[in-house]
Amino acid sequence: MSTTSLSKAEKSYIAAGLTQSTPHRADGRNLTDYRSVALEAGVAPLANGSVRLSIGRNINDNGGGTEVLAATKLEVESISIGESSEGREGGRFIVNVSCSPAAYPHLTQNALDDLQHDLTTILHTTLTHPSLHPQNLTILPHKKSWLLHLDLLILSDAGNTLDALFLAARAALWDTKVPRTRSVEYKAPRGSNKANAGANTTVEGGDIDVDSTAPSGFDTRTQISRATDFELPDYWDEGEALDGRDRWPVCVTLNLAPPVHFLDATPQEESAIPLRLLLIFSFTSTSKGEATLQAMRSLGAGELSLVQIKDLIQTGEKYAHSLYTALNAKLKDEDIRRTQKARERFIAARR
Amino acid sequence: MGSRVEILNDGGYRSDGRRQFELRDITINLAQQGQADGSAVITHGLTQVLVSVFGPREAKMRSQTIHDRANINVEVNVAAFSTGERRKRSRGDKRILEIGSTIKSTFEPVVQTTLYPRSQIDVYITVLQQDGGLLQACINGTTLALTNAGIPMADFVCAVTGGVHSTSALLDLTTLEENDVPHVTVAMMPKTGKVALVTMETRLHVERFEEIFRLAGEAGKVLHKEMKKAVMGRTSTLVNAMGSRGSGVDRDGDEQMNEL
Repeated sequence: MSTTSLSKAEKSYIAAGLTQSTPHRADGRNLTDYRSVALEAGVAPLANGSVRLSIGRNINDNGGGTEVLAATKLEVESISIGESSEGREGGRFIVNVSCSPAAYPHLTQNALDDLQHDLTTILHTTLTHPSLHPQNLTILPHKKSWLLHLDLLILSDAGNTLDALFLAARAALWDTKVPRTRSVEYKAPRGSNKANAGANTTVEGGDIDVDSTAPSGFDTRTQISRATDFELPDYWDEGEALDGRDRWPVCVTLNLAPPVHFLDATPQEESAIPLRLLLIFSFTSTSKGEATLQAMRSLGAGELSLVQIKDLIQTGEKYAHSLYTALNAKLKDEDIRRTQKARERFIAARR
Repeated sequence: MGSRVEILNDGGYRSDGRRQFELRDITINLAQQGQADGSAVITHGLTQVLVSVFGPREAKMRSQTIHDRANINVEVNVAAFSTGERRKRSRGDKRILEIGSTIKSTFEPVVQTTLYPRSQIDVYITVLQQDGGLLQACINGTTLALTNAGIPMADFVCAVTGGVHSTSALLDLTTLEENDVPHVTVAMMPKTGKVALVTMETRLHVERFEEIFRLAGEAGKVLHKEMKKAVMGRTSTLVNAMGSRGSGVDRDGDEQMNEL
């Protein structure tokens, strides 16, 4: 995946710096230091949840660094069993990664498509795993459900894109609001006689009722749920948060330069080392800190022994947990900035 | 009042509270984006476009090179979440290819391509948000990014859309207005007053065309002022940043230049 070409000498220089007794990196970081990560939520007004994330962006001139834009969008899908419609009970979730050609100016179109496909596969298979599926994507049981799209766009690549992609994905999903829906059903008027109820369902006889439990007058099939359609109530906020906020995983890429490993590699470092290990953890809740390894992948040509992997998973979990807590803190900050503080500003402006 | 949105109400206001000839808020960010040689983020109201320019450089495909001038290669990418309804447009999409080729033909006479024979200038456009005036935002953004990359051009190219609602002309249309109103996109060069592009997909009455065309020309001059201000601002920041390193460095640089 590395896109920078380095000479043998440069590679060995970087590798030698990393494996010294006091490791040296070009930007003066420790082996386990991340570059600064910046995050802003709510950047795409037309999306249900969105986030812009950058790793290692220079604060002074706004330049450099990896930059990822992630946004979620919900679409209504009808569920029909055995038909062409792809809707599934409980909703579907699709992840897609695209790369701006500006991020990879030296890649040809085909190479870019391949890269996009690789990244999409990694994110899609990990995030759409049944254990992570959000529970509130159903609108009407057996009839309608939400189709959740997560689109990630790489605007620029300065190393460690996978960590950035997973962080952005988690943040965008955290930010996602599912619109509130109310089911609507048609039913016969309460006071009228039965003959009337069967035929006259339109003008005076017909009555739209919301979430009512009375049996419908003309619905003879029992297997069909009574609610036939839904409406979106006008409400002050954009809906309720997508279920499973805490579960969305974080990814840590361990760059292996035996005997050491290091985090958050720059493109030069990425191309100087033979092997990277991708560890993707999901945590149940912040207080307990119970981790599940959602996915693992080794990238590159090197090899690893089982003992090494065991050690790396244990250390990786620690890194992932600190990344997880830091991200959660920032997301809560962003929530407050966008709701409470925005309200205060609004009130202050009106005075 | 019904639920129907009026394009232009009796008070002379449009659906978003603008007057007939009022342009939307425009913000320009010329900061460095990634490894691009020049880049610009431009917003017209809720339409946001990021343009990155690479080059002049060696072409990725040698067959694309032209022996006596530079080849301008425009690639447009639309983010799937940029519109109200999610739609993934692939790179081969007709609409996108059309925008790309329109931009290319707009800039070919403006950019001094003869200075860079056998090379390529890549313009990568990423559409982040769409709310009408996509082509105008792309063209204005490309002008700024090319300027930012230091590529010599004959003039600025400033584009704006104009439309007619019954008999009254409107400028800088939103999606809602574009769907309802015949419109035309005009790209003009403010210094010479030349027109680089006129394009329309809808039918417009001949008698209205002249008025809109003239108005779009005037609006282009207003846009030019804004764009020029942004470029001047960016350049002076860079000059100041260089100056703060001490004048000695500068003088050295000058001397070297003279020697060469």
